[in-house]
Amino acid sequence: MPAKKKTPNPPSSQAAKTPSIRIRMYRVGFGDCFLVTLAGTHHILVDCGVHNTGHVKADGEDLLQKAFENIQQATGRKLAIVIATHAHQDHVSGYGTFADQFKEFDIGEVWMPWTEDPNDATARQWRGKKEALVGLLQTRLAAAGDAVAAAAVDNATANPAAMQALHSGFGKATVRYLKAGDTVDAPAGLTGFSARILGPPQDQSFISKMNPPGSDHYLRMAITAADGHTVHPFPGWDLEESHLLPDWLRLDAKLTGLISAAAEFSAAAVAFSLDKMLNNTSIVALFTFAGKHMLFPGDAQYGDWAYWYKKTGAEVLSDICFYKVAHHGSMNATPKGALEEMPLGKFAAMASTQSKPFPSIPQPNLITAIGERTAGAFVQSDSIPVAGAVAGPKLGTLPAGFVQGEESQGEYWFDYSIA
Amino acid sequence: MTAPPNKPVKRPIPPPPFRLLRAFAFDPSCSRHYGNYMSMQVPFEPDIQPGPAGQHVAVVDYDAANKCYYEPIDLNDHRILAGDGLNPSESDPRFHQQMVYAVVSETIERFQFALGRDVHWRWHRSLGNWPFQDKLLLLPHGVQDANAYYDPKMRAIVFGYFTASETDPGNNLPGQTIFTCLAHDIIAHETTHAIVDGIRPYYMEPTNPDVAAFHEAFADLVALFQHFSMKDAVLQALRGTHGTLFQSKIAPEMKSGADGPLLIAQVETGNPLIGLADQFGDGIGLHGPLRSAIGTPPNSRALETMTEPHDRGSILVAAVFDAFFSVFLRRTDDLWRIAGISRDEARDVDLHPELLARLAGEASHMASDFETLCIRALDYAPAVDITFGDYLRALITADHDLVRDDDLGYRSALIDAFRSRGIRPEGVPSYSEEALLWRGPDETLALPGLRMVPLYTSREERRAIQEDDAKQLFQFAREHAGIFGFSDVKHISVESFHSVYRVGPDGNWLIEMVAQVIEKGAKNDTAGEPNVFGGVSLVFNPDGTVRYCIRKSLKNRSENQAAFRRDLWERTSAGPYAAFRSLPVDFRALHRGY
Repeated sequence: MPAKKKTPNPPSSQAAKTPSIRIRMYRVGFGDCFLVTLAGTHHILVDCGVHNTGHVKADGEDLLQKAFENIQQATGRKLAIVIATHAHQDHVSGYGTFADQFKEFDIGEVWMPWTEDPNDATARQWRGKKEALVGLLQTRLAAAGDAVAAAAVDNATANPAAMQALHSGFGKATVRYLKAGDTVDAPAGLTGFSARILGPPQDQSFISKMNPPGSDHYLRMAITAADGHTVHPFPGWDLEESHLLPDWLRLDAKLTGLISAAAEFSAAAVAFSLDKMLNNTSIVALFTFAGKHMLFPGDAQYGDWAYWYKKTGAEVLSDICFYKVAHHGSMNATPKGALEEMPLGKFAAMASTQSKPFPSIPQPNLITAIGERTAGAFVQSDSIPVAGAVAGPKLGTLPAGFVQGEESQGEYWFDYSIA
Repeated sequence: MTAPPNKPVKRPIPPPPFRLLRAFAFDPSCSRHYGNYMSMQVPFEPDIQPGPAGQHVAVVDYDAANKCYYEPIDLNDHRILAGDGLNPSESDPRFHQQMVYAVVSETIERFQFALGRDVHWRWHRSLGNWPFQDKLLLLPHGVQDANAYYDPKMRAIVFGYFTASETDPGNNLPGQTIFTCLAHDIIAHETTHAIVDGIRPYYMEPTNPDVAAFHEAFADLVALFQHFSMKDAVLQALRGTHGTLFQSKIAPEMKSGADGPLLIAQVETGNPLIGLADQFGDGIGLHGPLRSAIGTPPNSRALETMTEPHDRGSILVAAVFDAFFSVFLRRTDDLWRIAGISRDEARDVDLHPELLARLAGEASHMASDFETLCIRALDYAPAVDITFGDYLRALITADHDLVRDDDLGYRSALIDAFRSRGIRPEGVPSYSEEALLWRGPDETLALPGLRMVPLYTSREERRAIQEDDAKQLFQFAREHAGIFGFSDVKHISVESFHSVYRVGPDGNWLIEMVAQVIEKGAKNDTAGEPNVFGGVSLVFNPDGTVRYCIRKSLKNRSENQAAFRRDLWERTSAGPYAAFRSLPVDFRALHRGY
């Protein structure tokens, strides 16, 4: 669990009237919704979504709804950049739910990963396969009663309203599809702000890993299996066990059971595989403003990190002052090696998470490690119970540098400010 | 003297050395090219049962997708005996059973020849009351899946069948049923997994990035070297590559004009000798073979970034084949000089059939040597936690013991090829042959009470001697824990003990005993403490003195193993959503790609 001790590090800036950077994590449940405010006036929204079985209600209202209300108020309906790191529900659902309201905003730019680009043939083909697979998996997993895998697949279902709104730039914004290697300087007139894009990569080795398992063959077999349709390779040859001659070998019940289990198409394995692929399409962005570096890796998992941090890790990670914990603090989303590159005790971290619907997220060892690496400058979104909501582990007081949203406003977010 | 009474006697007929069985040299998509319709010589088993079920294997044609059986072939049916088995047919499951039996038997035979002893299958605790004695179960149509895999828990090789891609079927018909059990390479590859698992069961414990990759690479090596025993295929490939053999493309029968190829005969094709499982690769929508041995030029840094077992394994395969082809080139120089033509000139001419035949003979002969060496090296490989570097040392030592002078240059070619691919054995000062040879123990170690299993003996006697030898070794290992690198003798066990009778190329015998002792480290998955293993593989002289003692001590590797296994778990897709487990190598998932 996060360290409870108070610590003077990192430097607190609560006294400053207008902090240079303020990062607001809305406590939406299992999802991500971060508002980055630069110099008190310019706003960047990094994701806006919650998982359909991981949402939290307070006073009968979804916390994402409350988050949206605060976004409207805090930004004066003016967002320089809106980012959808990747197309998982728990990162984009709000862009659909509040699409009409967002269209009333003054939005400068919309950022998505290149894998969502409607004009990219590779991306288009891949998305087609993904959609076909998701439908199949939902049927299968519902039948199998595998709630955890089903929740992972639900998260991958397309949200046409959200994606349509994002692709259209909510009517008027410039839309960018980003890939590793891009650098965006002063977007939407944000002088002094730049974003270095570390993921997702667009090279062939990455793309080959992005194909759903077994590629299109797998899909076809899955479709066949889901229809209850099997291929009969030798029509007329089928023999029931009772038809075998006495000296012909046969399998015992244990072996037929084992083989039948192996013959089943493993919906759960494919579901998790698909989930990882989609996570690894996350935009991994290193923001720089006023000489401060902040890392927002979306839900990037091992494969995405591995691509870049081993080469550029020390350089990119060694002087960050803020880290948005990837993939809700899951085990393989913050590689140990990467965490060890981050400057000990000199950065803060936030994780938007809760243990529903995935009991193994967040991962306790990782949370402890982040707590230690940040010297306690770390909060997870469920660490102070929201009245009427599913309670997370009790944290008590917030570490220095973090502020909880005022009670009158619903206490539904945590702020971290950088001078 | 009176003449013996002239009455009829039934004189004994010597058993035939082989049974001839028809099979595909490659797979059905290869049509009749490259001698694809071949007859294989497999050891003659007089009492073979319908299945076929022989001494080592039992084919049971159960189809789990359709929940039915297919009629088994009786190889002793006189019509089948007289016809060298059934003719190749995709639509008769009995031909499939025959082919699986033939290729598995051939592969087993190669191992027995190289190892100088019988192969045995691994006993997995899950087998319980296993109904098939000492046999490996073979299921030619077990599942509907583009997959074939060896499963130690069933002690079975399960072959799948599937329909070819509708949109991208390669040489297959769209939607055509493809049988993995008709692909020679796939059968040989999976059989090799099963045999290696019997010899080195702890190679199913991925304790470093090389372990699973080694399993894959080794299975590919055996499958690939078998191509070179097919004379027609080697001849045609030599002709198409103008004598160079290792080119990935075969020249077309006729060159294309300016407009490009107009006939099939003008299209260049892949070289089937160095590719694996063409039809399978086409059927799932990859273009061309599943993996190719000779892919990329040597890159000494590739190992640093390649972690996926097939990718990583391909580096080992490429290293061994680099050595093979280098020796082939060197050893056939004289033939080119005799023929009065250089390799460069050969590119534009058709080579004389006799030159081709001699080149083919050399290639087949050397391939057999290399395959034997690769297999034999298993007995000189560590019991646990193998690395590619260890395997190089095993190869060098195995060859050194049987062929004292490296007159054909096999060892130097292997060393150069491994070095150029960045494969570094740990703890050796240089790549010299002397440095790479495994060393014996510092002081003489001897177990004079050990007994060799006689060459011809009953199963019961063999087992009794093995068990007795194993007991002595166990006691010895407890008393000499330090020498063997064990940290806690409470957790050691003797894994295997075999007598080996090998014959070298010069006709000399090499007789020895090989054994493995394993130490199991702590395990507690719930606390995130993975399974870790130490061990020693031992080579004894017939008098019981230890010749080699190949140690992998837990003392200095348990942390690395644990870290690797945790890392492996973290990379799995299900990792974030479930608690840690020490994953074994899972060929089913590995071949599927998730």
